Amino acid sequence: MLLFAAPLEGHGYGMPHDASLDGWRIDALINETSFFVVLLFVLMVAWMLWAVFRHGRNHQARFDHGTSRRSIAVALGIAAAIFFVVDGHLFVNSVLSWRDVFGNFAWAESQPQAVRVEVNAHQWSWAVRYAGPDGKFNTPDDIVLLNEVVVPQGAPILFQLVSTDVIHAFNIPNMRAKIDVVPGMVNRLWFTPRETGEFDIACAQHCGANHYKMKAKLTVLPRADYERWAAEASANSDRAFDPDDKDSHWGWEWSEHSRI
Amino acid sequence: MDAAELKAYEELQPIHPDPASFLRRYVFSLDHKVIAKQFLWAGLIFLLVGGTLAMMIRWQWAYPGQPVPVLGPLLLKNSGGVIGPATYMTVFTMHGLIMIFFAITPILIGAFGNYCIPLMIGARDMAFPFLNLASFWTFALSLVLVLCSFFGQLGAAGAGWTTYPPLSTNIGTPGNGQTFMVAAIFVTGVSSIMGGINYVTTVIRHRAPGMGYFRMPLTVWGLWLTAILNVLFVPVLGSAALLLFLDRVFGTQFFIAGAAAVKGGGDPILFQHLFWIFGHPEVYILILPAWGIVSDILSFFSRKPANWYRGSVYAMCAVTVLSAVVYGHHMFMTGMNPLLGQSFMLLTLIISVPAEVLFLNWLRTIWRGSIRTDPPMLFALGMVFVFGLGGLTGLYLGATVPDIYLHDTMFVVGHFHLTMAAASFLGSLAAIYYWFPKMFGRTMSPGLGKLHFWWSVVLITLVFSGQLIAGYSGQSRRLYDPYQYSFLQHLRPLNQYTSYAAFILLAGQFVFIYNFIHSMVAGPKASDNPWSVGTLEWFTTSPPPHHNYDRIPLVLRGPHEFADPEVRHRLGRDWIGQAEVLPEVAATPATLRGA
Repeated sequence: MLLFAAPLEGHGYGMPHDASLDGWRIDALINETSFFVVLLFVLMVAWMLWAVFRHGRNHQARFDHGTSRRSIAVALGIAAAIFFVVDGHLFVNSVLSWRDVFGNFAWAESQPQAVRVEVNAHQWSWAVRYAGPDGKFNTPDDIVLLNEVVVPQGAPILFQLVSTDVIHAFNIPNMRAKIDVVPGMVNRLWFTPRETGEFDIACAQHCGANHYKMKAKLTVLPRADYERWAAEASANSDRAFDPDDKDSHWGWEWSEHSRI
Repeated sequence: MDAAELKAYEELQPIHPDPASFLRRYVFSLDHKVIAKQFLWAGLIFLLVGGTLAMMIRWQWAYPGQPVPVLGPLLLKNSGGVIGPATYMTVFTMHGLIMIFFAITPILIGAFGNYCIPLMIGARDMAFPFLNLASFWTFALSLVLVLCSFFGQLGAAGAGWTTYPPLSTNIGTPGNGQTFMVAAIFVTGVSSIMGGINYVTTVIRHRAPGMGYFRMPLTVWGLWLTAILNVLFVPVLGSAALLLFLDRVFGTQFFIAGAAAVKGGGDPILFQHLFWIFGHPEVYILILPAWGIVSDILSFFSRKPANWYRGSVYAMCAVTVLSAVVYGHHMFMTGMNPLLGQSFMLLTLIISVPAEVLFLNWLRTIWRGSIRTDPPMLFALGMVFVFGLGGLTGLYLGATVPDIYLHDTMFVVGHFHLTMAAASFLGSLAAIYYWFPKMFGRTMSPGLGKLHFWWSVVLITLVFSGQLIAGYSGQSRRLYDPYQYSFLQHLRPLNQYTSYAAFILLAGQFVFIYNFIHSMVAGPKASDNPWSVGTLEWFTTSPPPHHNYDRIPLVLRGPHEFADPEVRHRLGRDWIGQAEVLPEVAATPATLRGA
């Protein structure tokens, strides 16, 4: 079981480096579950090997249907113990992590330093839009990017995502973040980058022949650098705005529960 | 049981004369045993096709964009042997669909469902022999549609085995290859429903006198529960396939929605609900027969009664019921309401309880047995091993938070291959090695069987563990070239090792193909009961006559009566037939010595 041996970051066969503030919750839950899984698997294999080697052809089989009260109680007891310990651990931690962090959009929205990004996915690229200084989407001062997202370190980054053609999935393994992007729906996602640097954004849902090339770059900058970049990018977008290019005018009014 | 009652059983299933013409005997046969062999051949041939496609995928992940050796010059002439991105997506799509609907389903359900159910419950044939014939030939029609898909304009189907719209509509996959495949799924669904109705009815109506539900072999229980799931849930798949067909061919918009580039008022998520309401029961449809077969074989070759038989039956029934209400875990990432996600998580985790009960029963059946390591037993133990690994890795994916990271990665691929592919494959092989003497009247080579076992189980574990590790390291499934991403570049050697293991795994299957075909033609003649087992099918000739049983047997006991001291005392052996009368007097000392 080299499978779950100490995950090495960035190389070796472990999860990619976690650059997010809350990804440890996912990693911890996976690795704690691995402890139980490896334990149960080793017990199972040891039991099978013991039975095959010790209770072979020369061993006298026992006439036992396993239907005594005690025997059934042992089986149900083991099943219940595994359920409450292993499954229970997964369930409780998933519910709590979802409530406190991954599904807690209300908290993320309430943070003054939060950054909001709208993403429009299509075969095979990611169109990205920030509201710009006016705080409104689909206006001339919006920052518009293709296959690139720039965000500040240490702030909640909120995404709302739509697709114009088929289903995609917005996946940033280094941030432990993933959500499907479905035509006809606005899906949402948030995380807090803990470290600066450049990270891959991938499409995780088969979306056609060039699915594997549907790649974008996430750049995490220190807050001050980000503010400088945002001001410049917004000014550039404003200058490049073409009122006649209707196809490039997209974006929706941001609300906590957006619907198209 | 009085004579009048027995007469009623005989009248329900009169003996029909053997068919005389070649066509009625081997092609359009009503005999469940012949139809079983037809399904077996069809399934094995398509298993080889699906396996070959798998090798092309493995080649691509090891050496993306390089010409495929051997197969490339044969199949991909236009591209110089290279798998292009558009071809690649048809390769993995066809691999998945063929393996699930046209390989495992016909082998486990079509072949062994047909072969085992009537024989093991003491019936002369299925309840509806003509429906059985129709089921096979409908299935054959769906195979033709699959073959048509390979020659479709713009290539075969390419939207993934899950066939999610809008990708699977004309927006994502124009060309009739995808349309043929959607039609093939619908037609094979019709075949499955016909088979399912037949199996359900046969078990209810045609059990021999004395064969109560709790005396049925666990094989029959597994196949029966599978048939019930087929009848309940394949129609849902059929409806989804039909609506998708309408979207593709007649321009309806059931599953097409879009804000900008694509207009449409439908809902792509609706398809996912329909697909997975079928799709999750489907994974149990594929594994329940293997569970049943393995439960029986573990007892037969441990020479010990199956541990807590009723517990195994209740566990399989519980899994059958729960399988219908857990499907949402496939859709955690669709933007599903968190409360709904948590409900599906809880239900999914609850299904592990009956699975554990069944598993513990297997482990305790072999404990303190007298284990014979014949090929069927080895494959059954191998199935327990890979299913253990596959089942445990499912824990992560049933919970919403680990799924954020693991969803759509190779970890999922490794998990469902261990459960659905490796476990069903090893379960099917256990069944083939076990019933081969009965089906063909000849014996397979046990030495080659053992070689085939070790070759398969070691490499199958390496291949799918390699996928688990790749997924844990972040590799998404279905990537044409995973090394586009910087965080996956270091996985190239891992993927290459995994691919080598897969190639060697395929090579090992030729041992089986040789053993299977050679034994069928020239294997030593098999006795009626070569494994010394008490279920009914071993009390007729090998192979059985057209009508299975000259007299319908009167069942006296359950299927797993091994190591009974009373039987040993009176019959001088460690087993007794389900319909065998225990003699009043003890066996002679000479017989006892012989035992």
